[in-house]
Amino acid sequence: MAAANPLPLPAPGRRAGAALRLRALMGGADLSRGDRLLRAACGMAALIPLLALVFLVVPLAISAVPSVLFSGPAFLTGQVFSFGNLYAGSPSLHHGVAAPAGAQYGALPILLGTLFTSLVALLLGVPVAVGGVVLLAELPPWFQRTASLLLELLASIPSVVYGLWGIITFGPLVAKYVYPGLAATLGRVVPFFGGAVGYGQGLLTAGLILAVMIVPIIATTTRELVRMVPVHNVEGAYALGLTPFESLRTVTLPFIRGGILAAALLGWARALGETMAVLMISGNALNVYPVNIYGPVSTMAGTIAVMLDSALTDATGLALHALAELALVLLVVTFLTNLLGRLVVRRFTSTALPIGRGI
Amino acid sequence: MLPYLQKLASPVHTALSNLTLEPSGGGSGKGIADAIGGTVQMGGSDAYLSDAQATQNPTLLNIPIAISAQAINYNLAGIKDLKITGDILAKMYEHHITNWNDPAIAAVNPGVTLPNQAIIPVRRVDASGDTFIFTSLLTATNAEWKAGPAFGTSVTWPALPGELTANGNPAMIQVCKANPGCVAYIGVSVEQAALSAGLGEALLQNKAGTFLQPTQDTITAAVSAGATNTPNDLRQSLVYEDGAQSYPIVNFEYLMVNSKQSDANTAAAIKSFLTWSITAGATPSNLASVDFVSLPTSVVPKVEAAIAKIGA
Repeated sequence: MAAANPLPLPAPGRRAGAALRLRALMGGADLSRGDRLLRAACGMAALIPLLALVFLVVPLAISAVPSVLFSGPAFLTGQVFSFGNLYAGSPSLHHGVAAPAGAQYGALPILLGTLFTSLVALLLGVPVAVGGVVLLAELPPWFQRTASLLLELLASIPSVVYGLWGIITFGPLVAKYVYPGLAATLGRVVPFFGGAVGYGQGLLTAGLILAVMIVPIIATTTRELVRMVPVHNVEGAYALGLTPFESLRTVTLPFIRGGILAAALLGWARALGETMAVLMISGNALNVYPVNIYGPVSTMAGTIAVMLDSALTDATGLALHALAELALVLLVVTFLTNLLGRLVVRRFTSTALPIGRGI
Repeated sequence: MLPYLQKLASPVHTALSNLTLEPSGGGSGKGIADAIGGTVQMGGSDAYLSDAQATQNPTLLNIPIAISAQAINYNLAGIKDLKITGDILAKMYEHHITNWNDPAIAAVNPGVTLPNQAIIPVRRVDASGDTFIFTSLLTATNAEWKAGPAFGTSVTWPALPGELTANGNPAMIQVCKANPGCVAYIGVSVEQAALSAGLGEALLQNKAGTFLQPTQDTITAAVSAGATNTPNDLRQSLVYEDGAQSYPIVNFEYLMVNSKQSDANTAAAIKSFLTWSITAGATPSNLASVDFVSLPTSVVPKVEAAIAKIGA
């Protein structure tokens, strides 16, 4: 199947270069049989992730079509997400799509719940992870090793365990001892932190648990970044008479700033898609916005997981299409945050060494 | 449903050696959908098919093999045998009754000193047959609930500040145990776990006005009352039945089976299992392991007629 043509002479220009590489990939009479086999195998391996993505997105998009037709833009602006009454009333037609009586699919509270819980996690998790690792670098090696080991242990805990801990221990604990204090102090200044604190299922609890879950991801990445800071620069800073803190502020942190943003982004993506732990402790509010930071919310991933079984009992099938659209929106949100993160990283990363930048 | 099928797997293999029962997990919705799709031969469900689904899948049979019920549990220190009505429960979940010392609760509990404590309603977050039968009771007893969320395996619950959610029956017990003031609906198959967690079991008012707990006798009484008008397709709610001793939240445990099987051998195997499960398999010890009750004798002929429809 491989063409046996000899390679043509390379023509000048970038496109010709690309064509040449492609030709080299497809043909290559100068390659042995084993080489060609290996190349074919690697080529297929490279195609598989791409095909998997296409195979995932295309059927999902097709499945979402009836829901898009039915809801239109109201899917993103509506406040009520309800499969309707599946046992009473008869299905009716809207925009050519059959729907159970009373069905409407407005996902704005779910969309905002996903963004809010992940942002709370990011706001709490990033300072802890970065601060902890940077401080750790100043401590004795045996302590660093132990702390690293514990961090990796933390990263390997399954999310359902976090969820169980959150629902039985952590949620009731903070609701009883921490939230009332927060509401009485910060709540007096910022109304969103005031009011009834609930019983430990809600936005802040979900954000806190997510923060614990993303700290290891951000911290391990940051640890590698700190190791990559050229030792000469740090030593140079000390030689100039800078204190460890000044050296940290003016040499280490500027050097790894872009990397920290990328690490935070990884953590954000994890928090956005996290399902089990969040669904257990978010309170799964239906069709309401949280009245304060302690209020129940629901997320897209959690909603898909818990609503699927009921969606299967919808004789019109529209409920399942609505969940497919929700999954599609989650994909798009994850993609957009990723894109945004890349732009931010590009904006803040400089290739020049930060030495001498206004010490 | 799954615990019961797991319980039956071993005795059915002993009784009918050519049969192996391989139950797998999933909610009532999955049981129904898999039976429709043909990925399983029998799909377990607490809920019967809706009219729309029954019309769409005329060959799918609703075959009850046992009776289950649901307890209303609460976490109030020192208060045993609290009396409660479906209407009060609906108002709790609608946030109209928010404190345990509400006059409506006191009116049905004369002589009981009710604490000044906030009510924390707990609901299932996953689609579940327990939600189906609980909301069926609320629909039967409260007009606002009937016009609003109505009933289903998951419903659009009224938005409550300070309500809690749990994923599965065991989690309902844990959440309720961790939060004094809670009220929860929990299937009788985990009744012992709920009681040993220190939760109270309410006496629930039935249609005749009697306050009852779920026991073999009160569940059987409800089934006997309902069984007098069981339709031939067996799609029937046993919630809020007539009769002075009928417990109000009782349901058929269904297996959804397609009457058109791919081959005669499979059809014969399914028929022999179903027949066994409502006769020799429905022993008190098998049923008691999950606090289920056997089908009333008046319903058995209708179930046998449904099983006879299975063919290739």
